[in-house]
Amino acid sequence: MPLKFSGMATLSPSDLVFGTSKRPLSYGIGLKIGSGHVVPELKYFTKSASQGRTEDIKNEVVQITTDVLQRASELGVPSLQLDTEFTFVETSRPTMVGEITSAQKALLEKGCRESGISAGLRTTIADMRDPRRDGFDPDSRARMMESFEAAASNGADVLSIESEGGKDVFNHAVVRQDLAGVVFALGVLAPIDMARLWKDIVGIATRAGVIPGGDTACAFGNTALRLAGGVGQMTISHIFAAVVRAMSASRSLVAYEEGATGPGKDCGYENVILKAITGFPMSMEGKTSASAHSSLVGNVSAAACDLWSNEQVQNDRMFSGSAPQAFLEMLHYDTKLMNQAQKDGKALVLRDLLVNSDKFSDPQAFVLSPDVAWSIGESTVTESDDQYRRTVKAGQKALDLILASEGLALSESERRFGLRLRRAFSSLPGELDDFVPKMTSTYRAKVASFRPKDYGL
Amino acid sequence: MPSGETALKELRDKLVALDFDGSRKAAQDALAAGVPPQKIVSDGIAEGMNIVGKKFELSEYFLSELIVAGEIAKEITQLLQPYMKGVEIKKRGKVVVGTVRGDLHDIGKNIVAMMLETAGFEVIDLGSDVPAEAFVEATKKHNPDIIGMSALLTVTMTEMANVIEQLKKSGLRNKVKVIVGGAPLTEEYAKSIGADAFGRDAVQGTEICKSWVTK
Repeated sequence: MPLKFSGMATLSPSDLVFGTSKRPLSYGIGLKIGSGHVVPELKYFTKSASQGRTEDIKNEVVQITTDVLQRASELGVPSLQLDTEFTFVETSRPTMVGEITSAQKALLEKGCRESGISAGLRTTIADMRDPRRDGFDPDSRARMMESFEAAASNGADVLSIESEGGKDVFNHAVVRQDLAGVVFALGVLAPIDMARLWKDIVGIATRAGVIPGGDTACAFGNTALRLAGGVGQMTISHIFAAVVRAMSASRSLVAYEEGATGPGKDCGYENVILKAITGFPMSMEGKTSASAHSSLVGNVSAAACDLWSNEQVQNDRMFSGSAPQAFLEMLHYDTKLMNQAQKDGKALVLRDLLVNSDKFSDPQAFVLSPDVAWSIGESTVTESDDQYRRTVKAGQKALDLILASEGLALSESERRFGLRLRRAFSSLPGELDDFVPKMTSTYRAKVASFRPKDYGL
Repeated sequence: MPSGETALKELRDKLVALDFDGSRKAAQDALAAGVPPQKIVSDGIAEGMNIVGKKFELSEYFLSELIVAGEIAKEITQLLQPYMKGVEIKKRGKVVVGTVRGDLHDIGKNIVAMMLETAGFEVIDLGSDVPAEAFVEATKKHNPDIIGMSALLTVTMTEMANVIEQLKKSGLRNKVKVIVGGAPLTEEYAKSIGADAFGRDAVQGTEICKSWVTK
């Protein structure tokens, strides 16, 4: 029976602060998450991934891990988490996933024994189902689950995924700023798919005694973030991207309803809302993920993180060593500052500096600010039993707060679009049963790869 | 029933408001009022698109709204087709687009495809994770003016060089222009692999394609 979050685990926005969570976790090699300090979470991309040869990729991951442990030891990093994200080609080879995870974990255990570092290993399995080619075919899904099994039984401490159910409809809708289409993807299709996926992932994690981490709306919220772009860019409205972010929290909540316990994965910027609702610790990324993509939320996203990540960096050489080494160092100093603030009782002071430096620069930063994120969470849980209605509620709340804000300097075009969006919300039906048949038929006609039967519709 | 001029104005206004149903009704009213379909296209749809284009240039409208207007314009034009027997709407040119092998990111490529269609190109979209051989086959089959390739990852953008190499081997490279785009690409990289141009974004990419076919 899925858990329903009908209330807030946090009591107020003041509970949303980096390093502390209501439901801290212990796992891996002496690692504690959310119990008073922030831990760097390092991510890296092998150069050999494009060639796809198991031995080359494994050797490179081993080299990266060795490099990172060496730099961690040199800097006196007390604790860290590594996140190995497998590509869809790698995920299709469960044996490879198992071998790489095993080799990496052995190195971590040895390195931690020698240096006294606490560490954890997150494994992220790619959603290799491609609705554009073969629908949600059972073979792809089975291989994904085999890869989860391989990771869990070979040393992964945390299992995560960026699942893509509803993505084909979302892609069509987001470039057209079609609110109904986005709600259909985030509030109907993705939750149906995620509930099925996460039941299985939680089962695998439970049997192996590892942590079912969580799912991110990277394929949704970050697509909107990328399309919105920087200051003054006009591909899609920044208000729209912010509203998509708020609604994506309702979608990602499904993983926790099915038994995920965090730490949520870094690229889910919606994690601040999820932390407010669930109390589980969350990984976040921001300024130090400029290696992977640009954003307007580089500081504010750190406000409530429990792990602080760089999102992704290719394993290139830099003057100071390898890029993963350099990025570990950046994460280390970021977390060191946050942990000092915690120690000195000044966490809220530093948090508010991080928040205020971004909050009013862009609607996307605004909705990640603890007070706004908390309000969005509160609206979301008022409709805990209905994923459609809670998605709409989350989006409406975000839009209302954005349009009512006196601090946000919205351009004429943004304000015009915000009002258009408000009308679009008003025209959505109140009930799921009135919404789904119309949208199913509309999107079956518009998106060739959308097959309602993949979602049991 | 509104007069022809009133219906054409309504069509322009509804197109600018991104109102598909309203645009369709206005186009039907114009037809019923005896406005020749070619005039509905030129004075209603094309004029409306000009206004939307200006609003985009002035940062009043988002690119997304330009795309939606383009789609409405295309659909209304198609509805008028049966009334335009013997009149062919000439395409500006033909473009084959695709995201290269190993890369499933298609949203940027889709935006470019929609922008090209709005600009009057015939677009053959090969989708994502497209092998070099498929680009070569499509070039043989469709005889396009331009090939557009997209990649979002540093590890997949190298596949673009392979596509260009395969086009050369097949003796097709000199028959088409090649434009490449995607987040990790640069002008220098495009030159280094032998592409004719790098499109920084969908708007610039479309402008480059337009300049090639009008020269």
